[in-house]
Amino acid sequence: MHQIAVANLVLALGATLILLGILSSLLASRFGTPLLLVFLVVGMLAGVDGPGGIEFSNYRLTYLIGSCALAIILFDGGLRTRLAETREALGPSLTLATAGVAVTAILIGTFGYLVLGYDLIEGLLLGSIVASTDAAAVFFLLKTGGLQLRPRIGSTLEIESGSNDPVAVFLTIALTELAIAHSAPGFGTLTSLARQAILGGAMGVAGGALATVALNRLTLPGGLHPLFVIALTVSVFGATSYLDGSGFLAVYVAGLVVGNSSVRAYPAISKFLESATWLCQIVMFLILGLLVTPSKLIEYAPEGLAIALFLMVIGRPAAVWVCLKPFGFTPPEINFVSWVGLRGAVSIFLATVPTLAGVPNAPMYFNVAFFVVLISLLVQGWTIAPAARFFGMALKRLATSARRVEIDLPGQTDNEMVGYPVKPDSYAALRPASLPAWLKPVLVVRDGAVKNAAEAGQIKAGDYAYFISPQDRVNRLDRLFAPLPAEALAAAKRTAFGEFAVAPDASLSDLATFYEMQVPANLAGLTVAEAFSARHGNRLHAGSRLTLAAYAELVARVVEDGHLIKASLRLEDVVDLSMRAPQLPPPTLVRRLYDRLRLRLSAQGKPAEPSK
Amino acid sequence: MDLSDLLVIDAVLPRLKSANKKQALQEMAAKAAALTSRDERDIFETLMQREKLGSTGVGHGVAIPHGKLAGLDRLVGVFALLDRPIDFDSLDGEPVDVMFLLLAPESAGADHLKALARIARVLRDDETAAKLRAADDAAAMYTLLTENVRSDAA
Repeated sequence: MHQIAVANLVLALGATLILLGILSSLLASRFGTPLLLVFLVVGMLAGVDGPGGIEFSNYRLTYLIGSCALAIILFDGGLRTRLAETREALGPSLTLATAGVAVTAILIGTFGYLVLGYDLIEGLLLGSIVASTDAAAVFFLLKTGGLQLRPRIGSTLEIESGSNDPVAVFLTIALTELAIAHSAPGFGTLTSLARQAILGGAMGVAGGALATVALNRLTLPGGLHPLFVIALTVSVFGATSYLDGSGFLAVYVAGLVVGNSSVRAYPAISKFLESATWLCQIVMFLILGLLVTPSKLIEYAPEGLAIALFLMVIGRPAAVWVCLKPFGFTPPEINFVSWVGLRGAVSIFLATVPTLAGVPNAPMYFNVAFFVVLISLLVQGWTIAPAARFFGMALKRLATSARRVEIDLPGQTDNEMVGYPVKPDSYAALRPASLPAWLKPVLVVRDGAVKNAAEAGQIKAGDYAYFISPQDRVNRLDRLFAPLPAEALAAAKRTAFGEFAVAPDASLSDLATFYEMQVPANLAGLTVAEAFSARHGNRLHAGSRLTLAAYAELVARVVEDGHLIKASLRLEDVVDLSMRAPQLPPPTLVRRLYDRLRLRLSAQGKPAEPSK
Repeated sequence: MDLSDLLVIDAVLPRLKSANKKQALQEMAAKAAALTSRDERDIFETLMQREKLGSTGVGHGVAIPHGKLAGLDRLVGVFALLDRPIDFDSLDGEPVDVMFLLLAPESAGADHLKALARIARVLRDDETAAKLRAADDAAAMYTLLTENVRSDAA
């Protein structure tokens, strides 16, 4: 009976803690506090030194729960990374995730060795523990901060944080072994690293492929798809780690594979994982908060503070500088990426490894790492939004995302149904005729009535519209339905009057001859679409320009998959020109003054002409 | 800035009935042919050549079909208000009911573009466009198109 009572008590307490965590999120969002910090604090308050007074020092259980939670979080991170959309951030972020982690660990190790009197292996081990940025913290704070970062910066940070944990885990485990054996890193370390990486990658690809095939081939009862994926994830993690591969890398890669192929029931899986990831975050932080003994933590405060400051001010910036400079990032960009080097649960979790492995001086790792994470969440977490503005990284708008409803279409994987409320200031409401052709309207809920696409005609603000969309393009839809930022709104509302449509397959030379304009020599003989891609390459986007004369330019209006679908010819500036003399080459200052003078003189000669 | 130098009252077609773009252009080409004593087919072909490069629908239900005709000695305009809007493949996707056809001499150069800009300027004014659409006869439309009402702050 006693056993059952204990079990019930554990359930009641555990669930109450989770409830407290969830409720405190209300408080946290009001004050902009990093939510993860709140979970950690709730755990600490419930713990041995807080009012809760729960004594919890089970490192083994923490490790078990922590790795399971982390596996799911990492899988989710991979699942949401669209490789095709983040191609230009891939190089920088992967460099940060590999070399960046190693450089950070080495710098901290050296600092610990030189300044704090650790031995070299100790320093490096501590460095590896706190070397990775935390995906959960970075994703979460970027999202809840309402920040819309420049795409390259945002993607770089997200991919980095999603993919650098495996490297930190490698290093931590390898160095833990060295710390126990008291040996210097040697050839064995390298082969072990290679084994971890190769096995992890391979198992990840295999697991991801297996999940994809299984999801598409097996007809599971409705609610089981997400559970199937999660179980498979955890088993891939366990099996890979058991075989001495990197389980963390494996689940991340598996997530990438699943997320970048078409999978049945993707909306359900993604939605379920969103909740699951939350639960994992809460549980992981609560347990880590419980595990720490705040009164002991204080003893390590000086070291913890020193390492945290070194990491924020020197270690991370130096590593980021080394990694990103070759990719042509500017100093403000580098500084901002450095500042968003948030540490999180992974570091604390890794800090339990030395204790489990019985490394001498194990409490140091745990407490110092805990301290570093606390400071990082407090200082960096709280200042992300101001920092983004300070370094000029934030686009000048708050991210107001569109509320998308996804509906899985049973029996096929390429398309899904999506629904959006049509907001008044969204692109979709302002330019309903310019929505992409691959977006097939299905039905519209207007004024409480459901109409099919033919009845509804063009969508209007206030509608709730449902479309069939290719699955791989669904993510691009959000920005069509989200309210536009102020400057884009002005541009979209400004009458497109005075622009002629230009067929993408029209010959540029024909067009230029017609209006007596010069075609740049390198574009002669091309069609309009070819000229645009010659000039803009894969950076072609709606709004890209091709200047043909001082008074005429071609503007890309609709671009899909890098191909020009609609373009226009702007002659609007010719309006101003009509008040000048008919010289056509770009007017220099002298020419302009000359023209003005001539105009004056001729106006005086002909007083009847209306002067303007 | 008015359009009286390129538009005569006889060139205004109020309530033109046409089912589609091709028919509307044919009707207007016929009118232009009558005004310039040129071949109607030539004019129509010229306009269609230009439409092949891209629609001349400029949005807000307005189209400005145009082209250059060898041997023409001046700019010639024809205005038509259609009795119901027709699909014109405009940038904004809206059907067109206000059309201004412009023919220019082969060597018109900037005059051609300036005239296009002037036409666009007059027709872009929502008030003018609304009044044009509400006008009953050619005379009222001609007055609207040629009166110099606005001081064009732009």
